[in-house]
Amino acid sequence: MIDLSNANNNLWKEVCGEAGDIRNCFTCGTCVLGCPASGAEESPLLIRSLVRKVVLGLEDDLLEDATPWMCITCNRCEESCPMNVHPFEVIMGIRKWQISKDDSYTPGAIVEIYKSGHTQALGKAKGLRGSVGVEEVPPTIVKFPELLEKFRAMLKETEIVKKYDYLFAGVK
Amino acid sequence: MKYGLFLGCNVPAIRPDVERAIRLTMPKLGVELVDLEGATCCPAFGTFPSSDEHAYLAVSAWNLSIAEEKGVDVMAECGSCYSVLSEATHKLSEHEEERKKVNELLNKVGKNFEGKVKVRHTVDVLYNEVGTKKISSTITKSLEGMNAVIQYPCHTLFPSKVLGYDDPGRPHMLGDLVEALGAKVQSYSRELRCCGGAGGFSARAHLDAVKYTKKKLDAMKEETNADLMVVACITCLLYLDKTQQELTKDGNEYSIPVFDYNQLLALCMGFDPKEVAGISFIPRDKIFEKLRDLVVVS
Repeated sequence: MIDLSNANNNLWKEVCGEAGDIRNCFTCGTCVLGCPASGAEESPLLIRSLVRKVVLGLEDDLLEDATPWMCITCNRCEESCPMNVHPFEVIMGIRKWQISKDDSYTPGAIVEIYKSGHTQALGKAKGLRGSVGVEEVPPTIVKFPELLEKFRAMLKETEIVKKYDYLFAGVK
Repeated sequence: MKYGLFLGCNVPAIRPDVERAIRLTMPKLGVELVDLEGATCCPAFGTFPSSDEHAYLAVSAWNLSIAEEKGVDVMAECGSCYSVLSEATHKLSEHEEERKKVNELLNKVGKNFEGKVKVRHTVDVLYNEVGTKKISSTITKSLEGMNAVIQYPCHTLFPSKVLGYDDPGRPHMLGDLVEALGAKVQSYSRELRCCGGAGGFSARAHLDAVKYTKKKLDAMKEETNADLMVVACITCLLYLDKTQQELTKDGNEYSIPVFDYNQLLALCMGFDPKEVAGISFIPRDKIFEKLRDLVVVS
């Protein structure tokens, strides 16, 4: 039996501010059927169950559940949900909610983007790029240090960088 | 016809041969490419879109504003870039408040986003702007006699209310583009499934993701006699290529060479295979040899 004595009845609003009212979900499971990550053996991503946790307000359960991070972002669930629950937006909402409660969920890649503008080390690809005949340094932000300064200045004003500034402090 | 080429991260860093193929083939078809100086990560779904909505939209708007300044629409090959930027454009045009907030961030660093830019995918431009006829009449070598299987990029199909250019339930454009090069497209039962490579699935549950993709590869092997696989997204390319190598190490044989569409197009235009399709795990030599021995059609 689910213990609802500590349930947070406003959890769905906290998680789905953008996505709207997810209480319309009637647990049909269409979102799970199309999901590539739903077949994972040890910890399958079961969007329907996540939506239930949010609707029922099971905060502790939701905070411990790392399966939203297995989402492949293919958006099949978003396409096929018959009740406009916006399951993909719910996944993204849960991720953001988890980060707001526990910084260990913060994706390291945002520090990479702050550092170089990209998730991949374009600076290390010079040889590879030269070998196929494209400019060794591509005309993205890696080529324009003055733009990278501006880009970082913009990011410094965002909530996530302000809140977790210590993650970005070591970036030179 | 002019587009701002949005490179993203994986193409320029890991598969610059795809970038080379795009840069060589598009102008031959009358598509002028403009560089988007100072562009960054789109940003990928697993980064700012998962952690801070305003930061996500600000980074996307940073990128889109570069195209806006130049008066061009954006064209991306990477499915994630296409999807992230399309969603951002949609969100910023639907919600004026959000656009104001984002512009407050942008204005401080001398940028602004008005929302005039459209986001296009390479397949969209090739099929809907260039057209298959023009492609067939421009190539000098044909893939006639070869069989191809297709991987349609999920990120260009869903959610169809917000993005996309093809029929999300029965996509056909990439297949038609491949047939315009002379190859025969063979369908298979798991054709419309995801490749399995994007997002956190393969990173967090690698063996499960490989198992998922193996089913797709098995369907290709059992139900078709594919000489090659054609994709139109850098993640599909990297993942279907790498996973075949991984499965082969375990004693199975998976050896269907994978190409991004523009790579195949470049080969059919006679460009140097080393430059336009030189980087892969599964060897592409058989395809190169077949094309090399072909008499040039005039």
